[in-house]
Amino acid sequence: MATNTLSTERKFNWGGGKSPFSVSYGKLMMWLFLLSDAFTFSSLLIAYGFIRYSFQSPIHNLVVKPFDHLSHDFVQEMVEKTKYFVQDHWPSPELVFNHFPFVHGIHLPLFFVSLMTFILILSSVTMVLAVEAGHRNAKSEVSKYMLMTIIGGAMFLGCQAWEWATFIGEGARLYGNPYGPRSFAALFFIVTGFHGFHVFSGVVLNVITYINVLKGTYEKRGHYEMVEKVGLYWHFVDLVWVFVFTFFYLI
Amino acid sequence: MEHIEHLEHTETPKDMKSQIWKTFWILLAFTVVDIVIYFILLSNHSMWKNWLFILLGVVKAYFIVGVFMHMKFERKTLMYSIIVPMIFVVFFVTLMIIEGDYTNLLRWFK
Repeated sequence: MATNTLSTERKFNWGGGKSPFSVSYGKLMMWLFLLSDAFTFSSLLIAYGFIRYSFQSPIHNLVVKPFDHLSHDFVQEMVEKTKYFVQDHWPSPELVFNHFPFVHGIHLPLFFVSLMTFILILSSVTMVLAVEAGHRNAKSEVSKYMLMTIIGGAMFLGCQAWEWATFIGEGARLYGNPYGPRSFAALFFIVTGFHGFHVFSGVVLNVITYINVLKGTYEKRGHYEMVEKVGLYWHFVDLVWVFVFTFFYLI
Repeated sequence: MEHIEHLEHTETPKDMKSQIWKTFWILLAFTVVDIVIYFILLSNHSMWKNWLFILLGVVKAYFIVGVFMHMKFERKTLMYSIIVPMIFVVFFVTLMIIEGDYTNLLRWFK
């Protein structure tokens, strides 16, 4: 009889007394928050797709090849001579985001964002390594990997700041830009800004967790679950970047 | 925070570290594939290219959520509670593609 109730209990996860998801409350809530955040980002990206689709598709670029040298007032030249950037056509990101720090006048589409993607993937790996070290209660390893993650996040934010500064320097604003439809720059600022704000919050959370790791808060608690929860958020930020990268730069 | 002790631990593979690095190389490879396709099809603005990039993004998302976010090793209940609601996103995308067609039509082919 006793074994019978035990086995039914084991099968019946929703009987109360334990988590049917086999995760702690905090982790489950983090997952649900991330689900809601995924909806938010999906809506933003779908809005981007919808607005972009309501314009004519980008004009084929047959003029500039990667690594080509460009004159200083390239944008003006393109607008006047080739009619590449016009109000009816969505601009091809290839001729807009073609700068690289410390390299001037050379057409380098996608290179800088690829570097940013690489930085974010790498910081995601160090984060998951910190989580893995947390399972083994290896404090020094957790702190080492957390610090690397924070540095990666800060580097990404720096890259994004440079990207924004360059774009704004070329005359892009929320209310208009020299490349074509107004909503082009507006959507860029809103979506990458929203993602960048998530990265920023992630870095802040990572710093707080890092300080607590150093202080030994989680060692006293006996588990590094907080690192896992912050890690979930950090991976989500990386996940969103995959799609921001796809929609804003690749397509 | 005591209740965590009572949770039965969901299975974590012993070789987690090597799995993490394997996933890193997979993600890097897919990103490189993205970049290579981008440069090969630079002057191509057709729709199937967009879908190809989105598909590659979904594959990358699978590896990030599965291994990095540990979803592969969680209970099925948790997995489905998070993954199944994403069907609303698919629904919204479908709606907006249909709606976008009309908007495009009204705007440019009067």
